[in-house]
Parts: sequence; C-alpha cells; structure tokens
Amino acid sequence: MPETVLAARRRSGTALWMGRNWALLFLVLEVAAFILLGTNFYSLENLQNIFVACLPMLMLGMGQTFVIITGGIDLSVGFVMGFGAVICAKFMVILQAAGLPPSASIPLAALICIAIGVIPGLVNGTLVARLKVPPFLATFGMYGIAYGVSELVSENTPISGLPAEAGLIGNEYIFYVIPRKLFSFLVRPENASPADLRVMLSIIPTIVVIAFIFVIVFAFILRRTRFGQHNYAIGGNVDAAVRSGINVPRHLTWVYIISAFFASLSGILYALKYVTGRADAGSARMLDSVVAVVIGGASLYGGTGNVKGTIIGALIIATLETGMVNLGVPSHNRYIAIGLILVIAVLIDQFFPELVGKGE
Amino acid sequence: MHSQAVGPKILAFVGEKWASIFLLILVVVFSMVGKNFFAVKNFSNILYFATTYALLAVGETFVIVTGGIDLSVGFVMGFVGVTASIVMRDMLAAGNSQTVCMIVGTLVGLAAGVLPGLINGYLVARLRVPPFIATLGMYGVANGLALNLSQGFPIYFLPPRVQEIGNSFVAYLLPGRAFTFFERPPNLQPGDLRNLIGIIPGTVLVVAVILLLSMFLLKRTRFGQHTYAIGGSKDAAIRSGINVPRHLMWIYVLSSVFASFAGIIYVFRIGLGNFTTFSSSYELFAIAGVVIGGASLMGGRGTLGGAIIGVLILNTLENGLNIVGIPAFYRYIATGLILIAAVVIDQFTPERRSAGA
Repeated sequence: MPETVLAARRRSGTALWMGRNWALLFLVLEVAAFILLGTNFYSLENLQNIFVACLPMLMLGMGQTFVIITGGIDLSVGFVMGFGAVICAKFMVILQAAGLPPSASIPLAALICIAIGVIPGLVNGTLVARLKVPPFLATFGMYGIAYGVSELVSENTPISGLPAEAGLIGNEYIFYVIPRKLFSFLVRPENASPADLRVMLSIIPTIVVIAFIFVIVFAFILRRTRFGQHNYAIGGNVDAAVRSGINVPRHLTWVYIISAFFASLSGILYALKYVTGRADAGSARMLDSVVAVVIGGASLYGGTGNVKGTIIGALIIATLETGMVNLGVPSHNRYIAIGLILVIAVLIDQFFPELVGKGE
Repeated sequence: MHSQAVGPKILAFVGEKWASIFLLILVVVFSMVGKNFFAVKNFSNILYFATTYALLAVGETFVIVTGGIDLSVGFVMGFVGVTASIVMRDMLAAGNSQTVCMIVGTLVGLAAGVLPGLINGYLVARLRVPPFIATLGMYGVANGLALNLSQGFPIYFLPPRVQEIGNSFVAYLLPGRAFTFFERPPNLQPGDLRNLIGIIPGTVLVVAVILLLSMFLLKRTRFGQHTYAIGGSKDAAIRSGINVPRHLMWIYVLSSVFASFAGIIYVFRIGLGNFTTFSSSYELFAIAGVVIGGASLMGGRGTLGGAIIGVLILNTLENGLNIVGIPAFYRYIATGLILIAAVVIDQFTPERRSAGA
C-alpha cells in the first residue's frame, strides 16, 4: 500500500504543483489570452495600469486576508473604504480652507483619515471578540453604518475642492525617462517638447509604491512575526489557541482594526487618484476583496491563506477588468466573470483537498 | 423570593419579545413626534413599501433556518425585474395587447428567476460549496446579467396598465358617496381625487397571501419540519432519512422565487424595470429583518412572523425618519445598529439560546 501511494505521489508531482499554483497559471494564461486578442495589451503602460487597477482589491484583500485566516469575514470593507475616501477628502478641503499648504494638509488629512477610519475596525473587533457576535453579522451591521455615516458626511454628493496637488500624488510616477535625453526622479519634466512627451516613459505609479510598502510590511508581519503565527493558530483551532495562552479576544480586535486600516488606506488612495471622495467609492469592492483572497487559496473555514495568493488574486481581477476594457467588452460583464471565478476557485479547493496542504 | 422569580421572568419575556415591543415603541414615538404618521394612509404606505423586503426576507428565512445564507437575493430581484420588463416592452412594441404582455413578461421573469436558485442550490447541496461563497458568486453573476440586459439604463415603455395595476387598491372609499372594490368609483370629478381613500394596496394583498402560504409551508408541512431539522443538525436529518441535498436545492430555489416575486412587484409598482445598485443593499435589509425577528445564522431557529416584524421595524423606521425630516441615510446607520443590537440581545438571553440547541 505505502509504495503505491508513494508512486502515485511521485507521478502526480507536476500535477500537484500545477494544482497548488493554479491561480498563478490562470493569471499567466489570462495575460497571454489578452495579449493575443487585444490591441497594445502588451505594453509598459498597460502593465502599470493593471497594477493601479488592482490596488482597491489588493488593499481591501490584505485586510480581508488577515480576517479570513482567523476564520472570520469582513463585509464592511467596501463601505469603510468609501468612508475613508470621504473623510480624507473632507479633511483635505477643511485643512486647505484653514490655510495650510498642500504639503501639510494632504499628509495630515491622510493621518486623520487613518485615525478615524480604524474606528469601524475597533467596533467590529470588539463585537466579534468580546461580545461574540458572529463576524458575518457584526461586519454586516457595520456595512450599513459606515455607508450611512459617509453619505451623511459627504451630504450625498461627491466631495470636491480638494487641493490639486492631491491629484499629482495620485497620478504621478516615480521615474520619467525621455530616451537618451532625460531621466527625472519624481518630477514630471517641464518644458518638454511635444515630440519628447510622445516618447517619454513614465515608470512606476507613485500610489502603487505607497500601497506595496504597506503590503510588504504586513506580509512580513503575517509570515515572520508572532502576531502572524497567532493569526494562523486562531484560525486553525480557537480552543487550542486559547489553551496555548494566546489572548484571542485582543488578537481578533487587532485583526479587524488591520482590516479597517487597509480599507481606509484604500479610501485615501482613491481620494488621491480621483481627487474626490464618494460614499460609494468601494461599494462594488467587497465582493472583489473576498474573491481575491479565496482565489489566493484561503479557506473560509480559517487557518489558510497568504499574502502572495491575495496579490495574485487581485491581479487576476485587475487583468480581467483591464483586458475587458481593452477588448471593448462592456465593463459590467466583469461581475459575471468574477462571480464565476469565485465559485470555480472554491470548487477546485473542494475537489482537490490535498492542494490546501496547510489546513491539515 | 417571589420578586426574585418575577424579575428574570420579565427580563426573559422582554428578551424574547423585544422586537415586537421595539416596533410598538417606534410606532408610538413616531406618532407623537411626526406629523401625519398616525394615519391610515401612512400605515398603508409603510406596508406598500415593506412588500419588497418582506418577500426577500421570507425566502431568506427558509435559507437561514437551514443554516445557510443567500446573498444574491437583491441582484436576483433586479435581474428578474429587468428580464420581465424587457419582455413586456418588446412585446408591446410588437403590437400585442397589454394583458398578454404583462402575463408573458411576468411568467418569463419568474422562470428566469428559478435559474439562480437552481444553481445556488446545486452548488450548496451537491457540490458542497459554502452557501456564503455560492451565493456571493451569484450576487456577481446576477448583477452582471441585469446590467448586461439593461445596458445600465432603466427600461421604459412598459404597458401603461402595469403601473395602474401595481398601484391599485383593494377597496376605494369616497367619503359619503361611494365604496368600491378593486376599481375606482365611476364618474369621479377632478376634485374628488384628493378625497378618494384607497384601502389596502393591491400589492400588499398579493404579498399577504404569499406570506400566509409560506407560513403554512414552514410551520405545518413536512417540508417545513425538515427545514428545521436540517438546520438543527444535518447529521441527525440525514440519519432520519431526509434527502438533505434535494431539500436544500428546493430551499435555494424558493429563495430565488421569492426574490423574483419581489422583482416583479417592483416592476408593477414603479412601472419600469431597474437593475439593483450596490448601495441599495437589499440583502442587508432582508437578512437584518430575519435576524431581528429572532433567527440564528447557525440554523434551526427562526420564524416568518419574526421576520415580518423585523421587516416592519426597518420600514417603519424608514418611513418615520422621513416624516420627522431626518436624512434618509440614517436608515442605513439605524439598520446596522439594530442588527448588531439584535444579535447582542440574543447572545445575552439564555432562554432563546437554549431554545435553539
């Protein structure tokens, strides 16, 4: 018996690898398909667009990863993102009116936004961890509350009158290169001739860098710190985690705060990119964030999931979105595709339980 | 000794009936604070708008009692509304009579609405996809289909009779002069319209009938018993010979069908077909209604009567806040708060908790 099992294992080594990394393979195939079918899909500009497009999914998905690993769910992230966008935009306007220069008002507004934006997370965490409210219901309640509050703050209209510099941060690049002529760091070259502008390369959008700094920091926390270990421990088996001395309520509270932190951060990036704040900025993104995490291999029963998977999941959705625009397919078809991918991802996990190795 | 025994009893009573008590308090407070809140016309207005959530909540109750969840109801409702109204519009344009258009449109809409339920049910019951994921997938798919069919615009040019029927009343009273059923009194003067009182909107009657039938189904039939049995303990249900996969299939189809009813009634009420927007959050209000009504997401517990009280709380709140002049967005906040309060109260009322176990 053991020999046959071993033989089977050895034979299916490649298949197993492919099964484990089906999301990555899917992403590669997806990109290849769009390159073949689309026009100019294979270009630096488009690649960077995909990374910009994946930011909301990635940011909300990062928080969702922490939550889902503990066996919970955060349904409020989409509207907390809207809340963050509204608060950030509102304070930029207020601080500017108070006479602060953009160099002070923008970072200050962002900090205030984070400080206020983690409150929904604190409430979610307290409800889940201390009052034992099921995560689904606690965050569903917050979903309504966050949306209502942001509509109130924004008075049901997109917030306008933000400092123009916000849009610069949101839409600028780290490097500008005019081949054989100029290499500029952070500053868009002035007085460039139209001919030069046409060949100018803009490399690495600034907001992508901002986002990935946080992604890397929190990937480190999840993978290499005791906090991350406890996260997996709680998701694997709460009772065992309690018995091994982990302060589970405190840990869970922090997890929901992290989720709200990323949602607010996503709101800030939205305000920077679109130079406005809207209550429904992230309303369609709750689905995306869960899909990104589940595609990335996390199980809703807790205990599995990682940042790498979430990044791939977010890129799959963003590629789909960008590719559909490229092909001229009406963008609302993305919801159909994403719904299907979500179900397929879960089915793959369902029928090949050996792929989700970590959970056992 | 005696008082010690009474205290917890009162607490337990309040804990168990808090939703009804809260609804009563809401009505009393708004009657005192709001102008024209306490009036036949306004109450019939509350019921008129409650029909949508009531239908969604009924379907959701069946699902939640089995321990599942259906997140797709709001978008299924939009999908069905769009499908039905496109059929009505195109058939009318092709020269069919209004009645034929309405009947065919409604039937096609309802038929289309069975599909999402079949798929949800198949995924949950046969392929063992967690209900949350299966219906979240359908949430995306149904939304995409509705947007695709409507191209993101409301669907106009439906038969004019649609809106007439959707806004008719069971009875009309013209004080001192006429009382008629279903049709407006004949020979109305322009001045009479203001005095004409409509009693019980027709849509409310339809929904009430559907509601009574589903109460019978959940409470008095073997199907209902099995629903509670599955929610209480799936293993025990399997061992006692219930065909759990087939039953679950039916449950999700039922939920989709109720969402389709809601979609059709929406079309008849508004007179046009509309897709569901993300921020309308129908599923939030439906699930909130069911949970406020005392259902547990763990399954095995929940009643349709409770769900209706929950829905009425949400709609009374919406109507009352509107009348008092408080911005509509407070309703989202209030719903979230009540939802959380309901679960916390449930958590701390031991009688109710043990009833589920």
